[in-house]
Amino acid sequence: MNDSQPIEAATTSIQVPSGAPDAKTRRYDRQLRLWAASGQAALESARVLVFPATATATSILKNLVLPGLGHFTLMDDEIVTGADAGNNFFLDGFKSIGKFRAQEAVKGLMEMNDGVDGVADTRNIQEVLKSGAQWLKSFNVVIAHNVDSVILEDLAALLWPDTHLVVVNSAGFLAEFSIHYREHQVIESHAETSASLRIDQAFPALLEYTMSLPLETMDITDHAHIPYPVILVRALEEWRREREQAIGPSSGKGYPATSAEKKAFKERIRAMMRKFDEENFEEAEAQAFKCWTPTVIPLEVKELFDLYPPSSSTSSSPTAFAGLVSALSQFSQNNPASPQYPSGLLPITPTLPDMKSSTEEYVKLQKLYRAQSEKEKQVFREYLNKSLVDVDDATINLFLKNSHALKVLKGREWKESDPGPRELLTDKLTSCPKEAATHLALAALRKLKAKDKPDRESLKDLLTAEAQTFLPSGTELPEPEWPIASGEIARAPSADLPTTAAFLGGLVAQEVIKMITKQYIPISAGNAASSENDQLGVCVVDLVETWTGTL
Amino acid sequence: MADAQENHDWEGRYYHIDQILDAPGPRTDEGFMAGEGVKDFLRNQAKILVIGAGGLGCEILANLALSGFKDIHVIDMDTIDISNLNRQFLFRQKDVGKSKAIVAAEFIMNRVPGIKVTPYFGKIQDKDNDYYLQFNLVICGLDSVEARRWINATLVNLVDPENPESLKPLIDGGTEGFKGQARVILPTITSCYECSLDMLNKPTAFPICTIANTPRLPEHCIEWASVLEWPRVHGDKKMDTDDPDHITWLYTIAAARAKEFNIEGVTWSLTQGVVKNIIPAIASTNAIIAASCCNEAFKIATSSAAYLNNYFMLIGIEGVYSYTFEHEKKSNCPVCGGDSVSLSIKPDMTLEELIDLLTERQDIQIKNPSLSTPTKQLYLRAPPQLEEATRPNLFKTMSSLIPDGGEVTVTAGTLPFSLSLDISYT
Amino acid sequence: MIKIWSMKKSEEAAGKKKPKTSAAQIRVQKDLTELDLPSTMKTHFPDPADLLNFSLTITPDEGMYAGGTFQFSFAINTNYPHDPPKVKCTQTIYHPNVDLGGNVCLNILREDWKPVLNLNAVMVGLQYLFLEPNTDDPLNKEAAQEMSKNRDQFLSHVKSSMRGANIKGVQYTNVLVQ
Repeated sequence: MNDSQPIEAATTSIQVPSGAPDAKTRRYDRQLRLWAASGQAALESARVLVFPATATATSILKNLVLPGLGHFTLMDDEIVTGADAGNNFFLDGFKSIGKFRAQEAVKGLMEMNDGVDGVADTRNIQEVLKSGAQWLKSFNVVIAHNVDSVILEDLAALLWPDTHLVVVNSAGFLAEFSIHYREHQVIESHAETSASLRIDQAFPALLEYTMSLPLETMDITDHAHIPYPVILVRALEEWRREREQAIGPSSGKGYPATSAEKKAFKERIRAMMRKFDEENFEEAEAQAFKCWTPTVIPLEVKELFDLYPPSSSTSSSPTAFAGLVSALSQFSQNNPASPQYPSGLLPITPTLPDMKSSTEEYVKLQKLYRAQSEKEKQVFREYLNKSLVDVDDATINLFLKNSHALKVLKGREWKESDPGPRELLTDKLTSCPKEAATHLALAALRKLKAKDKPDRESLKDLLTAEAQTFLPSGTELPEPEWPIASGEIARAPSADLPTTAAFLGGLVAQEVIKMITKQYIPISAGNAASSENDQLGVCVVDLVETWTGTL
Repeated sequence: MADAQENHDWEGRYYHIDQILDAPGPRTDEGFMAGEGVKDFLRNQAKILVIGAGGLGCEILANLALSGFKDIHVIDMDTIDISNLNRQFLFRQKDVGKSKAIVAAEFIMNRVPGIKVTPYFGKIQDKDNDYYLQFNLVICGLDSVEARRWINATLVNLVDPENPESLKPLIDGGTEGFKGQARVILPTITSCYECSLDMLNKPTAFPICTIANTPRLPEHCIEWASVLEWPRVHGDKKMDTDDPDHITWLYTIAAARAKEFNIEGVTWSLTQGVVKNIIPAIASTNAIIAASCCNEAFKIATSSAAYLNNYFMLIGIEGVYSYTFEHEKKSNCPVCGGDSVSLSIKPDMTLEELIDLLTERQDIQIKNPSLSTPTKQLYLRAPPQLEEATRPNLFKTMSSLIPDGGEVTVTAGTLPFSLSLDISYT
Repeated sequence: MIKIWSMKKSEEAAGKKKPKTSAAQIRVQKDLTELDLPSTMKTHFPDPADLLNFSLTITPDEGMYAGGTFQFSFAINTNYPHDPPKVKCTQTIYHPNVDLGGNVCLNILREDWKPVLNLNAVMVGLQYLFLEPNTDDPLNKEAAQEMSKNRDQFLSHVKSSMRGANIKGVQYTNVLVQ
């Protein structure tokens, strides 16, 4: 698995000319190797509001302040109690008792990174919601920890859909969180699948080069250093020509399909060896499946073509992403840069994986791919220009490089996941009882808190009664999952444990960073293009057995 | 209460944690003694060792302090580097160059009143068994395979069947970018670190002939500079990957080579990344894994809830994916597997006689064994030179070779790995 | 604390006590005492008490390097077998897969090393290099080119280099005398 970035992309823009990186780059080196300068820039211009200043809330903020978030506001009108001073690392122990929680915590947080702008706001969230609510929309992300349902309802309605609301709930060893957004587009998904080399649909220059090599007579050392894509394209083309001669002209673009044909094809590659141990041919044989795995547009990408149909010019101007996808869709239908295979392709990748080869042959092949990639980029650009969106060259390159792994996620509105549609919850209680029971127990607690301070003795029964109201009447709560989840909550209904807080602090910050940088894939309620609505988009945590799950 | 004042245990300090310690939950062992007993153990008796004060270590120390552990020791041999500051949150710019263990300990003691953190600026290998025996629990936040193997083997070896206190739970965490794992090791009972060595990702290594003759990637050019050119040009002078001048030299050489071969992408940062084998690291993943480790430490120390059995793996690249499973103990694990036999022999028995005994005994049945102690070879079958060198030992008495209570490691082609003998004299 | 000891009692493993010999040390002992080498290979330990540092002598009895005595140093670290042994040729020899600094190009010494491999596999791999030098992935490119393009010239270079000749300004080690 490889989730690191090419470093040149990560650092060139903020590097001093002598080569050695500046102090800021050195400070952020270990994260730039993941999300690069582009991700860092996004993080540094983001604004996040967090409330109230609980141990969990400050733990989340810690993991945003350290990597260099642009601005945060911590909102809390309460005064530090002995309990707060005991479980929040960013308060100054008992010395903070009696002072404003927000102010004390911001002091502790700001110490860690003076590149971050942090503000303590000692107003009450409900009052802010009543007056000056629009200001809340100036944030990119608002994070609420253990806030009751009544406040969340108003807040969620206000923020939807432009400011992402992150709702975090915890009690003792149990926790859950969800991110509320309409749609989230990811170009740099850092997917582990690599782009197709189009062995089965070789572009003209590659095919021509491949067929021009005098395999029988060339220098034996050079022969042992032909890169495997060249060998495969050659073998496949020869196979196709023979077939065409045997069966007729229409058969010329097929590929070995039956297992006998595949076996024979591998033998054909072996037979091309001039010495028994030519490792490049061994590699070609191992990669032979690329000849009969047709290059297609991944389904997830194809679905996006319907999600962002080519712009009907009458509608309001499309976003950059929609414009790019629409240009991609048109490209996939007609790509004049690949005359033999004009449709059904994504723009070709300009980068090759490493392979057995001499430097010269590798660089030669790389140049062929780059040249083709440039050609296709021009085609793509023409489509893009028609869509009237203005996109810079760097974004186009990034988009093309990642076009096989684009991702568009959908989220749910808060009211759609608190606790969620009855039928869906019923299904989840059967399909993932542990996660669903934990989610229901935390939702029930949230509702109860809005009503009254519940009595601890009867809490388990109250939780059960509340959970029943979320479900179609007569739904059985699962055994033993429900007694366990409700029992854990009844044991520690208001405990913000330091370790649970720290665990959530990491998880939530990580997902928020993914949202802000638009890199990697955050939790979601599914793919935006999918018509399935069977996911809640809630991440559930149990720190007794130590598992996480997504509903 | 004066005592409470001294401990800084102000009113409400443990409001959150005490909800757990005052009552059992649905998944709490029957043996849990809710209330003052468990609080006293946690806060006044438990002694915990943290190995590593880096990315995980900083988080671990803060979590333990807030959880109520008051006697914490921390070992780290490293000093603070500027690239630590994006996640090692107990360190500031002004601390660069100082000992991680010492700065972290001071920070925790200043921030969380009443906690004693004892730092050791040095290597784990400096400490002996008596040192490790004083702790109830050990938590590891290390980035080195070698150090982990060492502490794992040390804690497995520490287990003395006569002394329950000698079994120290080891909680191990590790991260790499958005990925991480936390695990609980009960030495000799559960799978140990060595049992899972084959789960580790192989570090990237390029064929040396590719580096020498057919570079294709910028990494190949960098390895050429560091593996071949550095020793050729600098002879025995050791390369210091923390020295920016050395990195700059390597970068210059690698860049020139890349230019010669038309390879793009050699940068200073990539050079540094390749030669230092830099693994991306972020605050959030460290926070998750450290929290999980400390949560297990808290549950094990207090018995307040079931604990992780025994491996938690997290992959945060696509959503939040995690997998909790029981990693199985390996019977042929070189550290915790294999058999151990107690042998009571006469002090004047010769080594040769002992070997005959091993070969003849029905319950052992070893063919052609080789024997050694932790410090020396007793008898090696092969190669001939070693056989010759150790042959004189065959005629020596056992008591002249090893002390009473000493241990002998036996290997043989017929054994899955090795057998250990506890020798006592009659 | 959890009552681990009660679990311990119920385990079959009860009563186990492990020696303090390190895993690396035991593995090396096992590897060395179970070596199955042909008569053309011999190990030598400058300090018989130190199993981690030794040399290997290869005296090929066939092929173009027959008659030579080739020396390699082995250095094993305490992270063995997670880390491969470090092997170098201590002589200056003319060979497509060994450079003039003694670096050896053998896949299982680097990119293809796995903890299940052992010292025997490494030694056998080294000997194979003398029987069948690999010209496709050379370390000494000139030697490899010579071997594949001008075999007679190559063989003559091998012979004279083994006698300790100076070829194109490189002084080779005489490997016939030892």
